[in-house]
Amino acid sequence: MSLIFILIPLVVSVLLLFSKATASRQIALVAAIANLIPTIYCLGCDYSRGMNCTFDVPWVDSAGISFSLGMDGITMVMLLLTNLVAPLIILSSWSRKFENESRYYGLVLLMLSALNGVFLAQDGLLFYVFYEMALIPIYFICAIWGGQDRIRVTLKFFVYTFIGSLFMLLSLLYLYLNTQAPVAGALAEAGAQHSFAWADLLKVQLSPEVATWVMLGFMLAFVVKMPVFPFHTWQPDTYVVAPTGGTMLLSGIMLKMGTYGAIRWMMPLAPEGAHTLIPVFMVLAIIGIVYASIIAVKQSDLKRLIAYSSIAHVGLIAAGIFAWNKTGLQGSIIQMLNHGINVVGLFFIVDIIESRMETRSLSELGGIAKSAPKFATLFMVIMLGSVAVPLTNGFPGEFLLLNGVWNYNYWMGAIAGLTIIFGAVYMLRAYGLVAFGETNEQTAQFKDVDTREMLILGTIAILVLVLGFFPGLILNISDASVNQIMSSVPW
Amino acid sequence: MTALLILFFTALVTLFAGLSKSKTALQPIVLTGCALAIGSLAFDLYDYQGSLQRWADLSNMLRFDSFSLSFGLVAVISSFLIIALSGYAFRDLNQSLGDNYGLILFSLCGALCMLSFTNIVMLFLGIEILSIPLYVLAGSRRSQPKGNEAALKYFLMGAFATGILLFGITLVYGNTASFDLASISRSIENGVSSPIMLHVGIALIMIGLSFKVSAAPFHFWAPDVYTGSPSLVTSFMATVVKTAGFAAFFRLFSTAFASVESTWSFPLAIIAALTMTLANTTALFQSNFKRLMAYSSVAHAGYLLLAILAIDNAGAGNALMFYLLTYSIATICAFGVFILVSGQKRDNSIEAFNGLGKTNPFLAAVVSVSLLSLAGIPPLAGFFGKYFLFTVVFEKYPWLVTLAVINSAISIYYYFKIIAAAYFTKAETELENEKVVVSTGVRWAAIIGLVLMIMLTIMPGSVYTLM
Repeated sequence: MSLIFILIPLVVSVLLLFSKATASRQIALVAAIANLIPTIYCLGCDYSRGMNCTFDVPWVDSAGISFSLGMDGITMVMLLLTNLVAPLIILSSWSRKFENESRYYGLVLLMLSALNGVFLAQDGLLFYVFYEMALIPIYFICAIWGGQDRIRVTLKFFVYTFIGSLFMLLSLLYLYLNTQAPVAGALAEAGAQHSFAWADLLKVQLSPEVATWVMLGFMLAFVVKMPVFPFHTWQPDTYVVAPTGGTMLLSGIMLKMGTYGAIRWMMPLAPEGAHTLIPVFMVLAIIGIVYASIIAVKQSDLKRLIAYSSIAHVGLIAAGIFAWNKTGLQGSIIQMLNHGINVVGLFFIVDIIESRMETRSLSELGGIAKSAPKFATLFMVIMLGSVAVPLTNGFPGEFLLLNGVWNYNYWMGAIAGLTIIFGAVYMLRAYGLVAFGETNEQTAQFKDVDTREMLILGTIAILVLVLGFFPGLILNISDASVNQIMSSVPW
Repeated sequence: MTALLILFFTALVTLFAGLSKSKTALQPIVLTGCALAIGSLAFDLYDYQGSLQRWADLSNMLRFDSFSLSFGLVAVISSFLIIALSGYAFRDLNQSLGDNYGLILFSLCGALCMLSFTNIVMLFLGIEILSIPLYVLAGSRRSQPKGNEAALKYFLMGAFATGILLFGITLVYGNTASFDLASISRSIENGVSSPIMLHVGIALIMIGLSFKVSAAPFHFWAPDVYTGSPSLVTSFMATVVKTAGFAAFFRLFSTAFASVESTWSFPLAIIAALTMTLANTTALFQSNFKRLMAYSSVAHAGYLLLAILAIDNAGAGNALMFYLLTYSIATICAFGVFILVSGQKRDNSIEAFNGLGKTNPFLAAVVSVSLLSLAGIPPLAGFFGKYFLFTVVFEKYPWLVTLAVINSAISIYYYFKIIAAAYFTKAETELENEKVVVSTGVRWAAIIGLVLMIMLTIMPGSVYTLM
C-alpha cells in the first residue's frame, strides 16, 4: 500500500520526462490527485499500534539494507500535507507557459515521489537516498525555470544542503556499524553483519560524547534544510529565484523533511547527545525567530518577506521539536501541515500579483481591495491563518508550540512568543500596503481571481478555517504515535 | 584464462584484418571478441566454486579466482563500451585503424594479467603489456604536437615508475627469496633478516603503483597526458588502466604484505588524503573538459585507495570492484558524449556542452546522469560505490572518511559546471545551436551505459556480492 505513494508519481514522471506529452499538465494533475485518494483512505487507519501499511523487501541484503516503508500518525500527517498541497502546486503553475512543459511537470512529480519516500522510509539508508533524491528535481526546476542569477544561487543551495546531509550520512554510518547483526529474516540469511532498520538503529546505545557528534551530524543536515539561523543564508535567495511552483515545493513541503527528520531520526537515535547540543540549537532557533521577523518587517519585496516569515515560523517549529515534550511535538506536527498550506497560499498570491503587475515591490502596490474584492478577501483569510489568529489554522499549532517551548524554559518561551506580535506586524503591514490605500494606474485595473485561482485559493481558505475550527482532526491522528516515539527515547 | 586467450587472438586477427582494404569489419570483430570474453568471464564466475579447475595449473603464475574474474568483467565491459564508441572517435583513422584496435586489445590482455597474477613477475609483465601499447596509443595522432608530448611524458613517467617498482620488487625479493605472493607472505610472517630493507622495498612498490594509478603526489603527469591523448584513449586510461592498477595494488597488498599492514597503512592514508584533496581543489579551476576529467579521475583514485586501507575487512574487495564499475561506466558515458560534442564543435572546453539540453536532450541526459553518478549523488550508482567504500574503512579511519565526504561535496561544484552548461546556458552562436549528429554505435553504447547505471542503482546488492 505505502509503495503506491512513491510509484504513481515516479512512473508518471518518467513518462513525462522521456516523452513530449502535449497534455502534460493535465496528466500531472491527474497523477497528483490519484495520490490524494490513497492518502485520504489511509487517514482512516488505526495509528495507535505502531506502523501501518508496512512494505519491507531486502535491497542490498548482505549489507543489511532493506527497502522498508511504513506509516504511523506522524508520517500520515506529512503524507497528507504532501499529497494535499501537490495538486494545488501543479494547478497553480497552469497559467504559466514553460519551455519544455512536460519536463517541468515530470520533475515536480519526481520530487513528489521522493518526498513521499522520505516520509515513509523506515530504513536509514533508504531515508538518506530519498532525502537526497528530492534535491535533484528541485535543483533542476529552480535552475532551468528560475529568475535572474539562478545558476549561482541554485548551486549554492544544492551544495549547502548536500554538505549538510553528508554529515547525516556519517552519523547514520556510525550508528549502522554499531548495530547487532539481524537474527531473523532475509537479511540474516544473506549474512548481514549490521542493519539499517530504524528499530535496530534505535537499539544502539551511545556514550554521551559520541552521541553528541552523531547528533551533530543529523542536526547539520536538518537545520540547513529547515533552515535554522545561522544556516539560512541560502534560503531567501533560492525562494526568490525559483519559479513559483519550485518555491511552493521548497517552502511548503521540502523544509518539512528537515523537521520530520528531526522528529523521526535525530532525536530518537541519538538522544544521549541532547543535553549538550539541544540548548545551543534551541537558542539559535529562538534567535532565528526574532531575527527573521525583524528582517521581514523591513522587506519591500513581497516574496522575500514571505521567505523570511517562513524562517521565523520554521524556527518556532524547530524549537518545539527540540523541547521534546508532548505539547511541543504535537504543535510542531500540526504546524508543519498548517504552515505548508498557508505558505503555498501566500506564494500563490505573490504569483498572482506578480503576473498581473509585473512587480512584487510593496511600494508599487495598493488599493487592490477596491479593484479585486474576492482576491483581497481570500488573501486576508490566508494572511490571518499565517498570523495565527484564533479560529484559523495557525493558532493551535503556534499555541501548542509556545506552550512546549515555555515548558522547556520560560524565558525562551517568552522570547519565542514575540513571533506572534512580529508576525502580526509584518503580515498586516504587507496586507495593508497591497490591499488598502490609494489605487494607482496599474492596481486600478487589477483583475479579480478567475475560476482556477478561485479554486486554489478557495481550497486553501477553506482548509485554513476548517483546520482552525477542528484542530483535533489532525491532533488525533498523530497523538498515539507521538506518545510512542516519546516513550522510545530515554530522556 | 579463456577470456585472455580470446582477447589475444582477437587482437591478432584485428591486426591482420587491418591490412585488408575493407575497414568496416574491424569494429564488429573487436566487439565480438570482447563480448565473447565477457561471456566467458561471466560463465567462469557463475561456475566458480572456490577454485577454477579448468586452468588450475599455470605454474603458479596466474590464478583465476573470483577476484580476478569479477575485476576482469569490469575491465572488459569498460573496453566493450569504449570500442562501441570508437566508430565515431576513430573515423579519420584509415591506415592505422587495425593497429589502434589491436593495441587496445593487447593493452587489455596486460590488464587481465595484472588482475590475476600470483607471482610478482607476472605483475611486472602485466604492467608492461598494458603500458607499452598505451604509450603508442597516446601518440597515435602523429600530426598533433600535444599528442606527441603526451606520449613522451607518459612514456618517461611510466618508465621511471617501473624502475622504482622494480627496485622495490628487488628489495622484497632479497628479503624473502621469492616472487610468489604466498611464499612472500609466509616469509614475512616468519620474520625477515632485514626488516628495514623490506619496508623500503614495500614503500618503493607503493610509490611505483601510486604512479600507475595516479595518486598524489605522483599524479602530476596525469592532467597533461589525459589532455594530450586522443579522447578515446583518455577514457581507456581513466577506466581500464585504473581498474587494473587498483586491482593489482589490492591483490598485492592484501596477500603479500597484509601482515605488515601497520607499517604501510598510515602513509597510504596520507597519500589518499592528499590525492583527493589536491585533485578536487585543482579541478575546481579547470575549464578544459579533459583536464577536468583528469583531475576527477585522480580524485577518484583517492577514494579508491580507501579500499586498500581496509584490506582486513571482508567487504573491501567487493567495494573496490563495485566502485570501479560505476566509476568506469559513468566516465565512459561522459567521454562518449564529449567526443561527439567536441568533434562537431571543435572545442575542448566545457562550453562545448552549451545548450546541449535543448539541441540533444538524450545526450544531455546521459552526461548528466553520469556526472551525477560520479559526484555520488543518491540514488545513482556512484552513491552506492562511495557508500560501500566509506563503510568498509569507516571504523579504521573515521577522519579519512570525513575528509572524503567533504571532498565529494566539493566535487559537485565542478561536475555541476558541465550540467549547468548543458541545461542552463543558452547556446549563443550558430555552431552551438547546431544539433549534434549521433551515430548509431555511440547511441547504442550510451544506451547500454545508461541501462547499466540504472541497473546498478536499482539493485546494487546483486553486483556487490558478485565476488
